[in-house]
Order: sequence, then structure tokens, then C-alpha cells
Amino acid sequence: MTSLSLTINGNPVGPIEVRDELSMNDFLREILNMTGTKFGCGAAQCLSCAVIVDNPDGSSHTNPTCVVPAVNFNGKAIRTVEGHAKDGVLTPLQRAFIEHFAFQCGYCTAGFLNEGQVLLERLASAPIPREALEKTILEALDGHLCRCTGYVRYHDAVRDVILADPGRYLT
Amino acid sequence: MPLSRREFVAWTGASGIALGLSRLALAEEPEFIARETLPGPLGLNPGIVGKGRIDGVAKVTGAKLYVSDFRAKDLPGWPADTSHALLVRSPDASHIYEGLDLDRLTADARPSAVVAAEDLVRAGTRVPAFYSGDLLCPAGSTPLYLGQPVALLIFATFDAYDRARVQFRDGSLIRFGAETGPLTRPNYGAWRFTRIAGATPDSPDVYAPIQEGWISPGFSDGGGRPIWRPLPVAEGGQYAKGATYGEEIRKELAANNPELLVVAGDFETQSIDPMFLEPECGLAWYDGGNRSLELILGVQSPYEAAEAVEYLLGEAAAEVKPDRINAQFAYVGGGFGGKDHTPFPLYVALAGLFFPDRPVRLAHDRYQQFQGGIKRHAFKMKTQIGVDRASGKIVAFAADHVLDGGGLANYSPSVAVVGATAALGIYDAPKVDVTTVALHSRAVTAGSMRGYGTLQTMTALEVLIDEAAMALPLDPIEFRRRNLLKTGGKSMTGTPFTVSVRTPELLDKLEQHAIWRDRVVEKSRVTAGTLVGTGVACVIKDYGTGADCSLGRIEVAADGSISVWADAVEMGNGIGTAIANRVALQLGGVGHTVAVAQIGMFDELGLVTSGDPYTMTQEAQDEAAKNPRWVPAISSATSASIGAHVGTQAVAQAAGIVFRFGLWPAALELWGIPKGDPRVYLWEEAYWQGDELIMSGLPPLPLSKVAAKAHEQKGVTGAMGHAFSRWAWSQASFPIGGFDWEIDLDALAVRYGGGPFQSLDRTSVAFPPTDYNRIGTAFVSGCGTAVRVEIEAATGAVRVAKAYSVVECGQALSTELVSGQAQGGFAMAVGQTLHEDLPLYEDGPGNGQWNLGDYVIPRASDLPIHDLEIEVLPPISPKEGPKGIAEVVMIPAVPALLNAIHDATGHRFNRLPVTPDMIRGVLS
Repeated sequence: MTSLSLTINGNPVGPIEVRDELSMNDFLREILNMTGTKFGCGAAQCLSCAVIVDNPDGSSHTNPTCVVPAVNFNGKAIRTVEGHAKDGVLTPLQRAFIEHFAFQCGYCTAGFLNEGQVLLERLASAPIPREALEKTILEALDGHLCRCTGYVRYHDAVRDVILADPGRYLT
Repeated sequence: MPLSRREFVAWTGASGIALGLSRLALAEEPEFIARETLPGPLGLNPGIVGKGRIDGVAKVTGAKLYVSDFRAKDLPGWPADTSHALLVRSPDASHIYEGLDLDRLTADARPSAVVAAEDLVRAGTRVPAFYSGDLLCPAGSTPLYLGQPVALLIFATFDAYDRARVQFRDGSLIRFGAETGPLTRPNYGAWRFTRIAGATPDSPDVYAPIQEGWISPGFSDGGGRPIWRPLPVAEGGQYAKGATYGEEIRKELAANNPELLVVAGDFETQSIDPMFLEPECGLAWYDGGNRSLELILGVQSPYEAAEAVEYLLGEAAAEVKPDRINAQFAYVGGGFGGKDHTPFPLYVALAGLFFPDRPVRLAHDRYQQFQGGIKRHAFKMKTQIGVDRASGKIVAFAADHVLDGGGLANYSPSVAVVGATAALGIYDAPKVDVTTVALHSRAVTAGSMRGYGTLQTMTALEVLIDEAAMALPLDPIEFRRRNLLKTGGKSMTGTPFTVSVRTPELLDKLEQHAIWRDRVVEKSRVTAGTLVGTGVACVIKDYGTGADCSLGRIEVAADGSISVWADAVEMGNGIGTAIANRVALQLGGVGHTVAVAQIGMFDELGLVTSGDPYTMTQEAQDEAAKNPRWVPAISSATSASIGAHVGTQAVAQAAGIVFRFGLWPAALELWGIPKGDPRVYLWEEAYWQGDELIMSGLPPLPLSKVAAKAHEQKGVTGAMGHAFSRWAWSQASFPIGGFDWEIDLDALAVRYGGGPFQSLDRTSVAFPPTDYNRIGTAFVSGCGTAVRVEIEAATGAVRVAKAYSVVECGQALSTELVSGQAQGGFAMAVGQTLHEDLPLYEDGPGNGQWNLGDYVIPRASDLPIHDLEIEVLPPISPKEGPKGIAEVVMIPAVPALLNAIHDATGHRFNRLPVTPDMIRGVLS
């Protein structure tokens, strides 16, 4: 057993004693009852389980949770799907997902939302040329599997959020 | 708007077990139904502004919605702690199962309860006929199929469960003895569909299934395969008569007639997994004190699941037989047919019963989902098309289909029939003979999956049609056009479709599209090392099953807010949003709150049923129909593309009643139109613009004002109904508002003002005749796809460069949902054609070792996400109803891709998937 403390959506969690092999996904879903983060494959192939990890240098990346022990997140700060909207106000990306009918069953949505949000934040700090946009989005989201939609509208939604604020995301 | 909080029991079956949905005790957690009612009383509803789905906010905020999200502590009235069950499945189906080596589990991974086959025998459980076969393989027997469950282990703690789950994964804790070889079982069904048309299009058929009945051969060989030639003794009606006609067609095709071009081909399609993202899951709690079994499930077929559990326990021993079963249903994280009539809920129920008083969660991980989840049938097909060389018209068609159904029958008979009766696709031929047989095997059970049967047989057809066109030679689209089944023409069973058949328009669209138009130029632009090809295909696809039900309930509050309940299941298809939008056509406002997968909100209808709607006689139906509460079936699965057509029907009809007998009289009074004024009868001329009721020459009326007046007048402000379709809707008349009002419902209850619902006795009813069961299908929607591929010669890698699909769906309730289905269907077709493949037997998913690392489904980079164009044809008239399209949109992309690969490589591949290795092989 290891004592685990971390920050989730800005809130300190722990210390909690967890067994070393408990996955982060099970920690979130079984221990904390935060089931917005999904379990899809348990093999880091579909990334419906991905969460955002906020690095000390201000950058962020996504991490699968299904194959990673919870204790690996000790001391880290993460964000999950439950933490995007603040005081009931949806983020631009959440709104875009809805308005584009981006998802169908929605089981993969948390992963796409987290990945898309990380991309937005990355582009905000390091804008790219317009002509690189579609390729950049594809590279960012391509690890995520969706069985319902054919991906078209997820990509359109992310693109349209960026194009709506070109001064922020594009060079 | 407050939710209904009445407790009720939907029905009590012959088992004596009360079965239904009840509210749970209030606690600080929201009730389950409140979580599943979207967007929720105070939630933002993107559907109201036409900008999104009603479940949009819940899905982007991670709200608890799917069955896998719930634990006991989320459910008011349940004990707080959740126990966990592990369904151990056999990776072997050719050796005797001897038991589990539980002693080899680590001490901290030992189960608290073990349920084996003998425990089920002792408990007196029964297996519903649909799932016939041992639920758990008995020790001393060879498992019937790979992945057959052998034991249910229950763990008091998650940690013990989690450890055991991993320790069981490699199968080494399951003991096997002597080799027996796989078990053999009879085939699941065999049919022959033969049609000989009359001399002219108007003359009656010489022979057709609709006239003569469906026929099956009377004999099988030792391997379970039917003997198709006519023998003197046969079952299933006039087999010899039909088979004799069929054999004549075969002789004609084999006659070496120089005027006849005969193209023939073998084609094999593979087994694939629906690969919905949410693995199957469920929660059960057997409250021993109250003898109540509580279930939380996530399936496409809620009513069937509840009934199956009731049957399972109907004659169980007193100590495990509940007095009541209370089943509730969650949003589904993808289904594609794989959560329709799945046996999984039976195991959830058993987990609860064998660990009484403690909530138990049974959840597949992905390995287990591959090992035990329902698969698509692998088909082997031989197809022959005889074409008159002079006219380019198909004169004879024959096909033989063999399906691998895997270990349990499940939907195999239906898949065989649907595949066979669709084998002629969009075409007309005067002579048709198709045989089909679904075989048992040791493979993982195959069942319902998107486009079942038709995807396989129409792929084989559309590839061979291209081959025939080139052999004639004729342009592929021109050849298709010459042979189209015209509106009013007869299908293979001898029945005309009763809906529009718009294949001429689809072909025109394909022909005019740049992908097709520029195919020669594009091919000539080949760069070194890259081959370019273009393909096209067009299909029609049945929607509906021939016994489709819809339950709907609508309430308009005095403030104009609208609440809707329906039995249809939301699995991503957007049914909740479609229902809300169909309501808006009648009532101006979209449904403000919609609860789907509700099977217990309709008790006032007092529905009863008996018999099998597919097989009952006309006399039995007529007799049963004398009971004004009787219907042929109560609720059906959300499957077979019935969402738009069926899933919204009862709500739409109920909304019509609320308008006609509630809102319209209220509007008349608000407008000051007196009785006797001819405008009283012009309700059909009124329409909604936004939430205002518009009538020429009169001031617009906001819904809120009309609703308030309707309540004040004690008009009809709520209605619930039941609809049934056997290729036509049941119709009945009900006494309402002084009329004998006929609608496409067979049961109706209404409420006046804020009063309670009252059931109305129908004064007459016309159920669709039982011989409609021979039709096969009367409803079709259409889709055509054109696609361009670029193939890297060195690697054989196929890049899908551009694609276009054109869909006709009647009235689209939401064009975004329709085109979204088409985009997703295209992606799944790419997977079926190029990527996905499950070996059937020992190397396949039944061995428990499969996950997404081995099984490849398309990623965005495998798809032309910026070059995928979807066109949805407008309805032929404003009155055309919605048609189901969720399956048809997948199908033509598969043969179109194959035709494009042929165009690029010059080689016709006749088995799926077409891998880079296969392509490289033919190119070298």
C-alpha cells in the first residue's frame, strides 16, 4: 500500500492508502466515484480513460489511466471531464462538441474533450500557421478511438473553436 | 417539471413475479430515473435551440449516465457498498471442462461466493428459449462454444475482484481434461426463397414465398448442412414445389446459353466485434428481506431483458425466487446491435441472487467483452447472376449462403433470413433462388450487429454486379439503372415495398458526383508507386423487424413545458433528440425533458399480450384482439434501424392527440372562434413557427398561453400510447372529444387538465394481418456510396482519399443525426473492409486474449474526415414519414471500397478484410 495525494480539478485529494497495482482508472471510478473518466479497453489503446496532467512548468499533457497505477500520479495535478465547466458554464470546447453533434453515444467524449483542451492550451502558448491546423488536430486526436461518429465532427468542433479565436491559436 | 414519482408495477407474469419499474426511496442522491431524464428539469437543452442533442450537456460534463457509471452508493435506498462479480469464460471448446483451480488464486484474490452449473440446477433456474444452452458449462462437459461461461465468482471487495480478474486472464486457472473435439448441434435454421415472376409485371407470380409460405428443407447431412435438392418428404410447407422451381433456375444458369452472361463468385465475410466503447455491465441487488431483485442494466432491449430475467427465475426454488423484479435501464455507451438480446443481464441477475443483500456489479473488461460479446456472423456465399447480353437485364439470380452462428442460436435464424431476402439488393429479377443456412459452431455467439445479413450478402452482390457490368460491357451505373427494382415492383418474397424506393435518384447523384465523374482523369494522374481507383455501390436496406413496438407518453404542463417518456433506448443514435424534435412538429416545443428506455411508465394502458407476433395465426390474433387491452407485443428492442420510424411513433401519435383535443380547442377559444364556425375543423391547417401556433388570418399564439388555456378547459394535456407495426401500423379508434377517433395506435390513455391518466377502450382495431409475416420486409431506405482509394504499391496500404454517400431517409427528424450516422457508418465500413478480423475459433476472441492492440478499428487518420461528403435527400413530400437509416448508411461503402480496389489493382478480392499483405501479394 502506498499513500497517494494529488490534485484533481484544483482540489486536493488524499492522502489515501492505495494498493500499488490499483490503476488510476479504478482509483477515480471505484474509490473516488468520479466516473466521468471512462474505462474502454484497459490496454491504453482507446484513450477513453485519458485525463489531463498539468505539469509544473505550466504545460499539460494527457495520460491514459487504465494501465497506469494510481500511485504514479502521486503529487501530480490532473483534470478530468468533471472539471472543465466552471460554475455550470461550459467551456468553448464543450459547447462546440454539443453544437457540432460531435459525439453520439458519448462514451469516448471525456477523452476527446481532454485531448482537445490540451491542444487548445498548447496552441495558445505556441500558435501555429493556419495551413497546419487540420494536420495538427489530427495528430493530437488520432490516438482516441470513437466507434460511433467517424470522427468528423470532433475534428470540426476543435477546428472551429480555434478558428473562432485565430489571434489566440494561430500565427 | 417534476418527474412522476408514483410507484407502480408494470405487470405480473405467469411466474408470479411482479416485474416492473418502481421509484426508489428518496435519499440525498438523485433517483436513477432523474439522472436518466435529460436534459433535466433545470438543465440547458441544446435541442430547444436546434443546436445539439438533449443529452449534450450530460455527455460533455461527465454526468453519471451509463450503467457502468453507477455503483450501489449512487442508488438511493441501496446498501452503500458494491461487491463485484467475475464471469469466468472457457477459452477451450474441445476438451472436457473439469473445474476451476481456485486454490491457485492468491489468498487476497479469493471469491466470497462461487456459482457453478450445479448451483443453477439446485436453484431451479430456467434458460429462456432465445438463449437456449447451459448458462454455465457443467463440470464434466465440453463447453458448447469458446467463451462459454463456466462459473460466476463474487467478491466482497473490489481489490479481491481486481486481482482475481487479472489472475484468471490467461485461462490457466480453468482445468480441462480429455479431448472430445467440438460439440455438434443442429443448424439454427435453413430456408429457401424462390420466386418465379409472372409473364408481365402486372401478372401474378408463378411462385413466390408470400403466396406459398416460407420453405425449409426436411433433411440435413451429418454436418448439419441442409440437403437442398427436393426430396419426397419435406418439412415447412411445400418444400418440394419451391425447390423444383429453384433447381430449374439453377439449370438455366448452368445451361451454357450463349445469349446469357453468367457471372458467378464466391465471397467470404469475416467475424467482427461491434466494439462499442462501453463494455457490458450491470448492477443487481437482491433485497432478501423484501424478496425484491433490483437491476440496473444497459441494453438495447430493456423489455426483453426484464422478461428474460423473469423467466430465468420464474420457477426457481423458494429461497432464491424473488417476489418482484425491478429493472431500470441506463443510457448505452454504444450498441450497434451487440447489446440487443444479449444474455448478459441473466448473469447480472444471478450475481445478485447468489450474493443476497449485497449489491453486486458485473462488468466485462475489454478482454472479456471480446471473449463473450455478440459478434457479426461470418458468411460464405456463392452468387450467380444471369444477364441477357442483348438487353443487359438480369434474368436469373441464385445464391447460397452459409452463416457461422457460433455457440448459441441468438439471432442466427433472423440474420439468415434477412441476408437471404436482401441478396438481390436494389435489383429486379424474374427468377430468383436463394438458399441459406445458419450453422452452430464452437465460435463465440454471433447475433445482431448493424446491417446484419444484408451487409454480407449485398457486399457480395454489389461486387459481382460490377463484374457483370464490365463483362457485358456496360457502365456500372447504367447496368444498375437498367435492373433497378421499380417502385411497386416485387421483392424476392413477392411483396412490393410500401415506401418510396428512390434508387434512380441515388444512382443519378452518384453518377453526377465528382468522385465518379472524374474517375478516369484521377486514375491517369497516378504518381509513381501509387495506384488510384474509384468504386461505387448502391443498396436498399430494410428497417424494422416485422413486430416493432413503440411506447410513448407526453405531458404538456400549464406553463407549456413538455415532458416525454419512451421505451426506445438511447445508444448514441440520438433517439431522445429525435423524439423531442418529432414532438415539436406537433406541439411547437421540443420535448423539454425526455426519458428514454422507460418500460414502466405506461401501466395505465393495462397492456396484455399473448402468443408470438411472428408465428401466430390470424384466428388467434382475431380472438385475442377482442380484449381491448391486448396487443401483439408490448415493447421491442431499439435495433434494426427503427429509431426514427418506430421509436418516435407512439410519442408522435400521442402528441397529435394532445394537440387535437387539448391545444387546438384551447387555441379556438383564445382566438374567439365559436362552435359551428367552419374553422373549428381546420386544425390541420394550423402549424407551429417556433413555439407560436400560426393560423392564417389569426394572431399567433404562444405555446405557454395555449397550454394554460388547455389546462383551464380540462382539455387533453397528456397522452400515452402503444404502437405496433407488422410492416404496417396497427390502427384503432378511440372515443374522444365526441368522436370515434382513428389513429395509428392500438392502445391509448389520456389525461384531462391536471387529472390522472385514463385508459380509453378502443372501439375498433385493425392489427396488420398475420400473413404479413411472410413479407420479409416492406420498408426500405436507400444509400449509395462513391469512393476513391489510393494504394501504395510497395506496401499495399490503402488510403481512402475521398468518399460521398447519398442517403434517402424520408423526413429527417434531425439532419445532423442522419449525417452523423452516415459518417459513423462509413467509418465502420472501412473497418469491415480493410482492418477488422476475428478468427472464429481457438485463435479468436473466445480465447480471452483479444484486446484493441490486436483488433484494429479505424482511427481518424484511416478515414477521409475532411473529404467525406454526406448528402441527405429531402423527403418526397412533406407528409413522408421518417425512415430508418442507421444500418443502410454502412453497407454500400464496403462494396464501393472493394470495387475501388479492383479499379486500382485489377484484382477482385473475395474475402474480407482486404489487407495490405493481400494487395501486395497480387501486385507482385
